[in-house]
Amino acid sequence: MTAAAPALSDQREPRITELPIEAHLGTNGMTLFIATEGFLFVLLFFSYFFLARGSGRWLSEEPPKLGLAFALLAILVLSSVTIAWGERQLKAQRTTYARLSLIATFILGLVFVAVQVQEYREHLRTLTPRTDVYGSIFYTITSFHAAHVGMGLLMLFFVLLIPRYRAPEQLHRSYRNAAMYWHFVDIVWVFVVALLYVLPNIR
Amino acid sequence: MVSARFYRFFNLPIQMSEDLQARLERIWETPKTLWGWLTTVDHKEIGKRYIVTALFFLTLGGLEALVIRLQLATSNRTLIGPQAYTQLFTMHGVTMIFWYASPILSGFANYLIPLMIGSRDMAFPRLNAFSYWSFLLSGAFLHASLLLSQAPHGGWFAYVPYTTAPYSPDYGMDFFALALIFLTVSTTAGAINFIVTIFRLRAPGMTISKMPLFCYSTLTVSLSIVASLPALTVACVFLELDRQWGTHFFDISHGGIALLWQQLFWIFGHPWVYVIFLPATGMISMLLPVFSRRPIVGYPLVAISTVLTGVVGFGVWVHHMFAVGMTDMSMSFFSAASMTISIFSAIQIFAWIGTLWTGRIVPTASFHFALGFLAALVIGGLNGIVTAIIPVDWQVHDTYFVVSHLHYVLAGTNVFPVFAAIYFWLPKMTGRMLNEALGKVSFWFMFIGLNLTFFPMQIAGLMGMPRRVYTYGSGLGLETTNLIATIGAFTMGFGVLLTFWNYFASMRSGEVASANPWGADGLEWSIPSPPPSYAFAHIPTVTSRHPLWDEHNEYDDPGDERVFDSGRQTPVSSALDAVPISLAQMPEDTITPLLLALAMTLFFTALVLKWLAVGIVGLALVAVVAAAWLWPRPVEESFA
Repeated sequence: MTAAAPALSDQREPRITELPIEAHLGTNGMTLFIATEGFLFVLLFFSYFFLARGSGRWLSEEPPKLGLAFALLAILVLSSVTIAWGERQLKAQRTTYARLSLIATFILGLVFVAVQVQEYREHLRTLTPRTDVYGSIFYTITSFHAAHVGMGLLMLFFVLLIPRYRAPEQLHRSYRNAAMYWHFVDIVWVFVVALLYVLPNIR
Repeated sequence: MVSARFYRFFNLPIQMSEDLQARLERIWETPKTLWGWLTTVDHKEIGKRYIVTALFFLTLGGLEALVIRLQLATSNRTLIGPQAYTQLFTMHGVTMIFWYASPILSGFANYLIPLMIGSRDMAFPRLNAFSYWSFLLSGAFLHASLLLSQAPHGGWFAYVPYTTAPYSPDYGMDFFALALIFLTVSTTAGAINFIVTIFRLRAPGMTISKMPLFCYSTLTVSLSIVASLPALTVACVFLELDRQWGTHFFDISHGGIALLWQQLFWIFGHPWVYVIFLPATGMISMLLPVFSRRPIVGYPLVAISTVLTGVVGFGVWVHHMFAVGMTDMSMSFFSAASMTISIFSAIQIFAWIGTLWTGRIVPTASFHFALGFLAALVIGGLNGIVTAIIPVDWQVHDTYFVVSHLHYVLAGTNVFPVFAAIYFWLPKMTGRMLNEALGKVSFWFMFIGLNLTFFPMQIAGLMGMPRRVYTYGSGLGLETTNLIATIGAFTMGFGVLLTFWNYFASMRSGEVASANPWGADGLEWSIPSPPPSYAFAHIPTVTSRHPLWDEHNEYDDPGDERVFDSGRQTPVSSALDAVPISLAQMPEDTITPLLLALAMTLFFTALVLKWLAVGIVGLALVAVVAAAWLWPRPVEESFA
């Protein structure tokens, strides 16, 4: 039951009884969650450089190969593009296209995981987490990122399951939040490639 | 119409219709059953649970401290051996710092902030319930190690390499690392909740410059939790990987660096000091003006220095590590930053003194605790400056001087404001007044006990008594100071006990509290004690920093426009100028927060025991429960 009918005298301000239902609190929360996750990776990178500067055993073998890392980067950037396109479709009420691009993003995410397994398989021949401290931090950072990819995939899968007819505004919210998180995962990989793959190669 | 002042002067409830109250009660109430108790998302209920649980951990940590003091009462005692002593001081520190000092402030913030800002709940009520359950379960998880008599024993900052597997082969440090990771999840969730609540749920008109100071301090520490807790997570993950999974982060023989632990731990650790200090100063800034019968002196300065303390608090962590060997340049920088912090604290102290000086003082029990806090802060702050001076720090490092400093600032500036807050806000929560005379007796026991315990420790420290050693030889001149400290510790414990007794007595036969027994200025005092489940029948509007001391009637709402009774709703405002822009649809009671916390407990337990399959099941359960939690429910059409 709503409050009494608004009086006509007060036309200047929007009436407090006619406010829309809030749609952004969850996004505020997601922003802060991404911020704290971002600090987590900042500290992981801090540890990487702290150990690199002070350690006697660092990169005793050759630096990591760039090929697959760049392939992974291309896959994730492409998936960011598809999810961003999907958001635009959803805003324009084209739910089917939005859903299709969500599926495309999800598949690209799975491809990323598959390629990374391949990358690990090759890499583990020369270096394991137990080899030395470089191996420990290298695999910890990349597998932390992989775990975040896994979480992002779960979020995308969850949004895929939401029936569009039941709560359209809820679908929009969840879609937007999952997309934000997916972009974050993508950006972290850019830093992983730049700092863990490219930098040792150009030194 | 009679003015709001009239009602307030005679302490009359604001008029509202019975029908409206019954309708709101039906929407917001939680049934008083076991199921209702497990599923509630009411911030008032969760806040009270936080406070009770944290006080339980205070008692536990206090008992551990008393055993330590008994062991140190005279020289060469053998009450407990070195092994048990190490476990005891570790559990004492970890319990007090992580499971008492911060959660108790979360408890007050949980209960009070929505009421202070004129909202009906936190921004994410279910996340709030999850924060509580995971706080409780992580504490239980840590203390399970005691039952296995494998308690952690590395001190509260657990320096490597002592805490790595070759030197600490039992499960103690695994419990430590995993319980802390578990707790960071809870604390981060709580911090995000506070930030969004404070920015978005303020009542119409409560602009950022009219916000209560307690909100400023909670907002500051919540932001620094978001930025600093990941450092603890990373440190504990590295430790656990090194201990159980064969990595080499801290293993020098494979290129690891032990100092990495100290860097990460203190990047987290010093902001954390402000996490358990700033909200306490925020509470003092709320209650000291009430008992001085005037608005606080220098509101903008206090607000700004609170925020700046949080910011500069990120640039001082190395002052815990002056003794590890660093360049003069970096030490000078961190020494200067550490001294800068004292400027912001001094601004606050002078604002409080100015408030007292120009006010008319009402010396209640709560006021006594606030003054005790001021004294302890000045002593603890001054010997803090002493330890920020590098050459002095090298002399007193790892002695009882540091123990004295950290207890003056933690016991003095957390426990005393918390007790001031208990005497101030408990009548609001329970509807019963506490006994003032007994409160003052309790204060004097605690205050004398505090100084008897920790002042002699400064002398013992300057005489060279090292911390964390289970006994000391006779004839070193340490007997007197230690005996006094032990007597002081028991005096303080007795004072705490008196307040607990006071609470139970007040629940049995205490005077019934009115809505605003202290004549205070905040919105939380405008509603009945204890508040109804919906808190505000009409969402208030605010025009000044002291809503209950101005001429404006915040509930003047003849058209019932600010009732919002189509479901659990509360208005959402713009972040800075608090213009209402939408309505938040709050969730109903649900069991999912508890289930999620239980699934995480299963996951962490499996990690301690290295049961991989169970761990994966735990993770899968976390995902399933989270999906059930977030699954969209269609908005109900009718609530009437």
